[in-house]
Amino acid sequence: MTKPSAWRRVLVADALVGYLFVLPLIVLVLGLVAYPLGNAVWISLTDKYVGYAARFVGLANYVTLTRDPIFHKVIRNSAVFTLASVAVKVVLGMLMALALQRALVARSFLRAALLVPWVIPTVITALTWHWMFNALWGFINVTLQGVGLVREPIAWLGQPATAMAAVITANIWRGFPFFGVCLLAGMQAIPRDLYEAAAVDGASPAQRFWHITLPGLRLVLLVTTLISLIFTLNDFNIVYVLTRGGPGTATHVLATYTYEVGFQALRWGKAVAVSMYPLPVIAVMIVIVTRYLTRED
Amino acid sequence: MAGRGVLAYGFIGLLLLVVGVPFYWMVNTSLKTSAQLQSLTPYYYPSPATLRNYAALLGTTNFLTWIKNSALVAVGATLVTVVVSSLAGYSLTRIRYPGRRVLATTVLVVYLVPPTLLFIPLYTVLKSFDLVNSLWALLVAYPTFTVPFCTWLLMGFFRSIPRDLEEAAMVDGATRLGAFTRVILPLTTPGILAAALFAFTLAWNEFLYALVFVHNTELKTIPVGLNDLMFGDIFLWGELMAASVLTTLPVIALYTYLQRYMVEGLTAGAVTG
Repeated sequence: MTKPSAWRRVLVADALVGYLFVLPLIVLVLGLVAYPLGNAVWISLTDKYVGYAARFVGLANYVTLTRDPIFHKVIRNSAVFTLASVAVKVVLGMLMALALQRALVARSFLRAALLVPWVIPTVITALTWHWMFNALWGFINVTLQGVGLVREPIAWLGQPATAMAAVITANIWRGFPFFGVCLLAGMQAIPRDLYEAAAVDGASPAQRFWHITLPGLRLVLLVTTLISLIFTLNDFNIVYVLTRGGPGTATHVLATYTYEVGFQALRWGKAVAVSMYPLPVIAVMIVIVTRYLTRED
Repeated sequence: MAGRGVLAYGFIGLLLLVVGVPFYWMVNTSLKTSAQLQSLTPYYYPSPATLRNYAALLGTTNFLTWIKNSALVAVGATLVTVVVSSLAGYSLTRIRYPGRRVLATTVLVVYLVPPTLLFIPLYTVLKSFDLVNSLWALLVAYPTFTVPFCTWLLMGFFRSIPRDLEEAAMVDGATRLGAFTRVILPLTTPGILAAALFAFTLAWNEFLYALVFVHNTELKTIPVGLNDLMFGDIFLWGELMAASVLTTLPVIALYTYLQRYMVEGLTAGAVTG
C-alpha cells in the first residue's frame, strides 16, 4: 500500500502534467480570443479611426447607430437572411435525414455525397452560385428560358428582392447537409424498440414521427439549430462574394457592414460597435448550446 | 414499405440533383471557350471541350502562388492544431485538477465566438507583433477557430477510450506522457485524423481573416485570390470555374478518402459532445 502522502504527491504531479498539457490552449484563448474581445469592447467605446489615436467617447457609437437608417436596414437584412436560411435548412435537413434513414442500400455513400457542399470552400460556393445566377449565361436563366417559364432574363443579383433570395439560396445549399447528417445521427440513436412497439400499437408513420422521432431529436435539433443560427447570423463569405451587400444596401448583413465600415471607411470604433450589437442574442444562444453539450448524464 | 423506399430514394435523387447542378455548371463552364461562354444560345455542354481556361489560369494568373500559400498555411495550422488540441483534449478529459470543467466549457464557448467579432481586434494584436501582411498572421489567427473545434471533437474520442488501459500502463511504471503517447494516442488515431481533416479544411476554406490580414497579391490565399480575379474588368468566368474545380479537388480527394472519420467526428464531437 502506498502511504497517503506519497499518493497525494502522485496526484499533485499528475495535476501539474494536466496543466502543462492544457497550457498552450490557455495561452491561445487568453492571447488571441479573450484579450482581443476585451480590446473590441474598448475600441467600440472610442472614435478610433485607422491612423489616428483613439479617444474615449462612451456609448456614442452605439447611440449613433440607433439613428442610422443603413444600420436598421442591416439588422433587418440579417434577420431575414438568418431566419429564412436556417428555417429552410432545418426542414431540408430533416427530410434528408428521414430519407437517408429509409435508404438501406448505399446509405453512407449517399450521406457522404450530400455532405460535399458543406466541405468545399464557401468562396467557391459563392463564386459558382454567382455564375449560376448570371443574367445572360447562368444556368438558372438559361434553364428557365429554355423551358419557357420566363421570356426575359432575370437580373437575380441586380434587384433587391431577388438578390436576397439568391444569397439565401446559396447559404441553404451549403448548410442543409450539416443538418441532414446531424439529424440522421440523432435518429440512429433513438432505440428501435420504441418504433416496434408503436408499430404493434398501429401508429401511422406520421404519428411515429410526431411522437417518437421528433421528441427523440429534441436535443440534437436544438443544438444544431442554435449553432447554425450563430454562424448564419455572422456569415460573411456568401454575401460578400455574391453581392458585396448590394444592390445598394439590399443584402448588407452585420458581417459585411462591419467589414465595410472597418476596412473601407476605416472607422473602427463604429465598425466594432456594429459587430457588438448582436452579442446579447449570440451570448444567450452560446449559453444554451454550452449548457446542453456539457451536461453530464 | 416498398413505396416509402421509392419515395426516400426519389427525394435523395432530387437532393443529389440540387447538390450536383452547381458542380456540373462549374466543370462545364471550365471546359468551354469564351466564345461558347458568351454565346447567345448557351450550351449545357462544352462543344468542343477545351483546356484553354486551365492553361490561361496557370499561365497568366497567380493561381499557383495562391495555392502554395493556402497549402502552407493550412498544413502549418493543421500541425499546430493537432498538437495543441490532442494535448488539451486529453488533459481535459483524463486528468483531474481544479478548473478543468470551466476550461472544457470555455473551449466550446470559444468555438462559438464568431470571427466577425474578432477580426478587427485580432488585426490590432497581429499588427503589434508586426505580423500583418504575412502568412504568419494566418498561421497565428487560424488556431483561434481550429483549436477549439478540434479540442472539442477530440474530447469526445478520448472519453470513449476505457480508463483501465492507461491506468494499467501507469501501474506498470509508465509516466503520464508515456501512457499518453504509447497507449492513448494510437487508439485515438481515427479522432486525430478527423481533427486534422477538419483543421485542414477549415484553414483551406477560410476567407475573412485572409482578406483582412494579408494585402500583397503574392501572399494571398486561394479564396482571396479568386475573389480578386472575379472583380476584374475582363470576362474571366472560364478561368474562375477552372480555378474552382482545381481548388475543390484537394478537399474532395481528402474527403473521399477520409469521409468516414469526418462524419464520425462531426456527429461525435459536435452533436453528442
